[in-house]
Amino acid sequence: MSLKNKACVVGIGSTEFTRNAGRSEIHLAVDAVTAACVDAGLEIDQIDGMSSYGTAGIYAAELAPDIDVARSLGIPNLRYFGQTPWGGGASCGTVAHAAMAVASGVANYVVCYRSLKPASGTVRYGRPTAIPAEYRYSYYMPFGFASPTMWVAMQAKRWMHETGATREQLGHVALVCRENALRNPRAMFYGRPLTMEEYLHSPMSSEPFTLHDTCLENDGAVALIVTTPERARDLKQKPAYITGVGFGTSYDSHSMTSFYRESIGLPECTEAAREVFRSAQLTPKDIDVAQLYDAFTVTVPMQLETYGFCQYGEGGAFCAGGDRIRLGGELPINTSGGMLAEAYIHGMNMIAEGVRQVRGTSTSQVKDAQNVLVTGGLGVPTTALILTQGN
Amino acid sequence: MSIEYNPKYMKHFYDPVWENFESGFWQGLKQRKLKFQKCSACSTFSHPPRVRCAKCKGEAWEWVESSGKGRIYSWTVVRQEVHPAFRVPFEVVLVEMEKEPGVRLISNLVDCEPEEVSFGMPVELCFREVTREWALPMFRKAGG
Repeated sequence: MSLKNKACVVGIGSTEFTRNAGRSEIHLAVDAVTAACVDAGLEIDQIDGMSSYGTAGIYAAELAPDIDVARSLGIPNLRYFGQTPWGGGASCGTVAHAAMAVASGVANYVVCYRSLKPASGTVRYGRPTAIPAEYRYSYYMPFGFASPTMWVAMQAKRWMHETGATREQLGHVALVCRENALRNPRAMFYGRPLTMEEYLHSPMSSEPFTLHDTCLENDGAVALIVTTPERARDLKQKPAYITGVGFGTSYDSHSMTSFYRESIGLPECTEAAREVFRSAQLTPKDIDVAQLYDAFTVTVPMQLETYGFCQYGEGGAFCAGGDRIRLGGELPINTSGGMLAEAYIHGMNMIAEGVRQVRGTSTSQVKDAQNVLVTGGLGVPTTALILTQGN
Repeated sequence: MSIEYNPKYMKHFYDPVWENFESGFWQGLKQRKLKFQKCSACSTFSHPPRVRCAKCKGEAWEWVESSGKGRIYSWTVVRQEVHPAFRVPFEVVLVEMEKEPGVRLISNLVDCEPEEVSFGMPVELCFREVTREWALPMFRKAGG
């Protein structure tokens, strides 16, 4: 039994990405879900399921709960509701849960959404304004080890030491994402090019990272609608089939602080990779374009290794010069600009971009993209998806 | 260079919370001792602590005082302030303990410039008083 091609994404919707949305997370979610329904050709009242994120501890506040969004939309009943925890790690998992819900008949049309306003709101993911006093963080916070940038820097520094990857190689990830954003009018960095010189001379935030190694901070929401292939026939858009799904925690998993394993790389990613390719019955060679979760530049080469596009230790070289990962290269990545240059919506915008690639409507379109890999957040339990064109 | 604190925020950070199965670590710090959880049945160390031993599933633990010797496994130098409680720059290190197989500890370096830090550098434990009640386990260059 497999979930392969039992569900598809039929609608994508987004708010503007901005430094100040001027409205709440609930309001942004309502706008994104409405846009996704319009895109799909679906009445809002047909939505009968919601798949959302849970942040699971790091930041207690979930500011756009499903019932509040459903209430404002006037949705009469949710036959399915569920949350996937671990922040950005949840992104592809929300779609996998929606696929399971529609494939099993628990619900007919499930909306997945993420709504964030770290740029103007109270919950900021990059720089905590309040340090939680939970026991798991008592081992870190007293040492000033208090932000995702520092936590990932600890992994990055070790990975760079083991593999010999360089800052310049990471710079090419930032530059390629920026190139893609320059073609995407929705992107926060649309019209704002980046040079290697600027990248290399930017001040360090937490070594080995500068501002240009870390994702954007912006307000916005993105929603996707998942249904069965049978129901998709009556809707407006060409469906993006959910061909593979993968979840992974690996052993001794912590939220952002998995520093105690034999290797402090991304073993959860290795597990999710195995599952996503196994369920899709595909291999990395079948992937035409990838949306690799890029809250940090370094996670791109690390994922190129863990998802099997190259061997351990070769991820840095894969990104060197940018030619293999840019449009026209062997594996174009993050074609909307990703979270380094389009927007930070905990990966939901990267799934929407995966759908655009399958539809053929990206602003950095890969010609006849058949299979798109989308990945979730790193350093936490993670999830992945393969989206595919129908015949 | 050593980490420096703004005392105004200390209470906020140095009031750790823990569950009963972790208390050996924190009670140890109150006595200025660094203790790690060791399985009574199979001698496997665990940090951060667990309810059961992941290797043999045993639930009987000992709390063993560490020699405090270790090596730098990874580190970062924090140069941009993320909270006014911690004055930048400062180093955060991941220390691999020498006598406790598989144990690594997040900590800070004291009396060490960022340029001096290297992978595998030997370090030794020292305690740094942060409040009247609490001292934190920190590290300095071994033999320094």
